[in-house]
Amino acid sequence: MTRGGCRGLIGSMNLLAIGCSYRTTPVEVRERLAFSDEQLGRALEQLSRQLGFEAVLLSTCNRVELYAAGDGDPTDYMADFHALPRQEIRQHLYVHRGEAAIRHLFRVAASLDSLVLGEAQINGQVKKAYERALLHGSTGPVLNALFPHARQVAKRVRTETGISQGHASISSAAVDYVKEVFDHFEDKTVLVIGAGKMGTLTLKALRGLKPRRIWVTNRSPERALAIAQECRGEAILWERLDEVMAKADIVLSTTGAPQPIMTRERYARISARRTRWPVVILDIAVPRDFDPRIHDGETVLLNIDDLKSVQERTLERRRAHLIPAEQIIEQETRRFIKDWARRGNGPVIERLTREFEARRKEIVGKLFSRLNGKLDAADRQYIDKAFSLFQNQLLHGPISALKEESTSGKEQSHTLLEALRKLFRLE
Amino acid sequence: MNRITIVCFLASYGLAFALELLQFWSGRASLRFLAWLAAAAGLLAHTLYLYSRVPPLIWQFSWMLFVAWVLAVFYLCGAIHYRRLNWGIFVLPLIVGLLGLGLLFGQPPETARGLWQEDLHELHQLWRPVHVVLILLATVGVCVGFLASLMYLIQAHRLRTKAPPGQGLKLLSLERLEAMNRRALLLAFPLLTAGMIAGMVLIARSESVGWTDPRVLGTMVLWIVFALLLFLRFAQHLRGRQVAFLTIVAFLLLLVCVVLAHPIPGVE
Repeated sequence: MTRGGCRGLIGSMNLLAIGCSYRTTPVEVRERLAFSDEQLGRALEQLSRQLGFEAVLLSTCNRVELYAAGDGDPTDYMADFHALPRQEIRQHLYVHRGEAAIRHLFRVAASLDSLVLGEAQINGQVKKAYERALLHGSTGPVLNALFPHARQVAKRVRTETGISQGHASISSAAVDYVKEVFDHFEDKTVLVIGAGKMGTLTLKALRGLKPRRIWVTNRSPERALAIAQECRGEAILWERLDEVMAKADIVLSTTGAPQPIMTRERYARISARRTRWPVVILDIAVPRDFDPRIHDGETVLLNIDDLKSVQERTLERRRAHLIPAEQIIEQETRRFIKDWARRGNGPVIERLTREFEARRKEIVGKLFSRLNGKLDAADRQYIDKAFSLFQNQLLHGPISALKEESTSGKEQSHTLLEALRKLFRLE
Repeated sequence: MNRITIVCFLASYGLAFALELLQFWSGRASLRFLAWLAAAAGLLAHTLYLYSRVPPLIWQFSWMLFVAWVLAVFYLCGAIHYRRLNWGIFVLPLIVGLLGLGLLFGQPPETARGLWQEDLHELHQLWRPVHVVLILLATVGVCVGFLASLMYLIQAHRLRTKAPPGQGLKLLSLERLEAMNRRALLLAFPLLTAGMIAGMVLIARSESVGWTDPRVLGTMVLWIVFALLLFLRFAQHLRGRQVAFLTIVAFLLLLVCVVLAHPIPGVE
């Protein structure tokens, strides 16, 4: 098939969505199917230039998907590209065709199929995947219509429902709590205790608040220095923990200590030296670093369960918006199919009219030449009009039927389109 | 303008409060807009009333009207500045409460003259208006401090119970509320002190009011509470919650003083 050719425009879109996601496939398989930047470019060129498909590849940590339009079946393409056994990979893949593929893309872009429902990142990833495909020239009429529409759908779902409301990550929940306590951060000190991986994202989010300084302390001074350099902070000796605790406004604790490092008694001694209130302590270590009895409303102590519960509540609220969001997806899928059908019908109707017009003119021309000299201008005009009327009445039936089928949104319009093409030999 | 009564603006503020409550429960932004409109209408009527009647500040009724007017301006400015916060739920009931209290005190007699309508032939007669205006401004400061403290305690309670951010009442951060309370107190204390000094001069010249008069004693206790509050806040680094409690106590004490303070004898 020629990419972007006439057949693609007037016939069925032959759209396929093939892939795997966190729902169907373990991470061990997903990571084998994932595409690096260099691989993406190579695969897109291969799919379009060698295999004749319109193609967009979406490769994120939660899903690897190929959207392809064209003749043929690229189901095994991903397995072949990565030189993996087809049988082994096929069991993990889902394949959506036509309308189901459209619906699937819309759900993915609107983040209804995401691990964290309503997260905003996926829409950007879909956009990026499409832009990359554009860059490699692997898109055509089908995907050029489908992907921009998917972005609009995602925007509609986001603005018309509450699916993206609230913060659904631990780090954003932590920042939200911090903002309930503090108004400005340019005079605040953040103290990071420990070097747990759990704290990396939260520290990044806290850095976004632009605090005055970040202190990092760790039992290992080298580790403290490494983290301090990473976050443009200052490494503090572990022995000075109590002293800096008394001065910090926000504390992020992520040690791997088996016992709490901060007992109530120790904290009471630190509190006595403190001149600034309130203080927020984000204890996201497991086991916990701080005695929970420290929490009193002005020492706001939040542990990982508190932050997770905020995340859960946010997701619960978002889930309440799933039904209206799915309704939008359904409406938009129908609308896309209708638009597509209308777009596909246009050239057929134009061709049909042009063919009939040419034949009419030919017949009328022959008739006029045979009756040459016997007709005056008024007769000629009358005959020409009569033939035009006949042509219009003849075409009215098939054109109306085609338009009705396309506006119904049913896939049968493709069959009717094919029938018209064959009946009137419009190949 | 003579047809404007206290009920007109009291009802407007009451309606604004009801709309703010409805907005809080339903979450519909349009209700907040309607609340602003109702409060703005109330403020307009309130202003026209004060402008046309010029009620004598020496009477508690007028006093309440003036303080409520300042707070109504405070509400509208705050509501527009902090559009997403439940500002009105706190400020409007205080305005309605003060106006209600004013009604309870009763209107001054028709013969009573406004503060600036009195004959101020001699310099010493200026002490009275100076005393009244300073205490009035100090009262506004205490009211703002009270509102900030109330919101502070609720926000602190929300944090203590680990209520999810962004749900339920939407309030300013603890830090901002504490700053609002601190500024209000820092403004109110010097005004109260200066107002008290003016009051002392008046007592020294008065034959009917002595140092043991309950309203004089009440005001002194209020000043002591204020001084203690500032000392604890700035010298002892008292925590925000305790400062908020003490501010609420100072506000209640102020109400007691206002109730005790009947018109200064000799002025009808």
